[in-house]
Amino acid sequence: MPKVLIIDDSAVMRKIIQRNIQQSGLIVDEFVEAGDGREGLEKATSHNIDLILCDWNMPNMTGIDFVKALRGSGQKNNVPIVMVTTEGSEAKVEEAKNSGANGYLTKPFTPEQLKSKLGNFLLVK
Amino acid sequence: MALESMMESISLDITDATKTLFETMIMMDLKYDEASLVDDTQIKTDIIGLVSFTGKYHGVIALFCSKKFALKIASTMLMTELTEFTSEVKDAIGEVSNMIAGNVKTKLTAQYGEMHLSIPIVIAGEGLSITAVNNHPVVSDTTLSCFSKDPWLMTPFISNNEKFNIGLLLKESNK
Repeated sequence: MPKVLIIDDSAVMRKIIQRNIQQSGLIVDEFVEAGDGREGLEKATSHNIDLILCDWNMPNMTGIDFVKALRGSGQKNNVPIVMVTTEGSEAKVEEAKNSGANGYLTKPFTPEQLKSKLGNFLLVK
Repeated sequence: MALESMMESISLDITDATKTLFETMIMMDLKYDEASLVDDTQIKTDIIGLVSFTGKYHGVIALFCSKKFALKIASTMLMTELTEFTSEVKDAIGEVSNMIAGNVKTKLTAQYGEMHLSIPIVIAGEGLSITAVNNHPVVSDTTLSCFSKDPWLMTPFISNNEKFNIGLLLKESNK
């Protein structure tokens, strides 16, 4: 069953994302949370994760550094990463994709926008 | 572009970003008025959510609101009635400030090149005022201190019968 890792330094945002996914009908068995890229990297490699949602601006290790580190490690290459961030410039979107992110969603977002973006990676009930 | 007209343009971006945020994730009514320059001595607030940005231009975007309004925003975002001013409420205000500043930054980046956002800082108290002093010989260009006597360009909003303001400080960076 799908396990989703949410990496965001805001606990409130992690809760909002979880709630929106649960209410969307997307099938998720378990959520794993991390407060920065470093913790995200540890959890991404130690848990059997199926999808990663990642913020950009975070303390200790940013989201883009997390993406580069995970993709550079050669581990979990098949696990999709969707950036969920306030960074919305074309240059940032391009940088994320070039670094190995598979999707991009800018905050703020509606529940429908989140569902549409994650529907590429999760099944709907 | 002159700094004054640029500030006016950014103020419109702040209004748009705030409207979008309230329409998508906060789902509360929102009214707003024209922005005006406000001297720091006129600012009295309970909560300040600050995000600074650096690049060709640097500055601060800050949310000023009452504790009651901060509780209302956090309760709405979390879909649970919060009555105590917990770290969750500060987190929510930080995220609100971050989403407004992030959207403004995206528009600025398109016009003026890449800029960098700070992680939000939330300051909470009662009847807080702001005074930026500039009498120290070593003053970083990216702190509030460099704005010393500059007024804030303040956009007033009303939501849920509560007033709140979003302020902007802006300077061109040294080349």
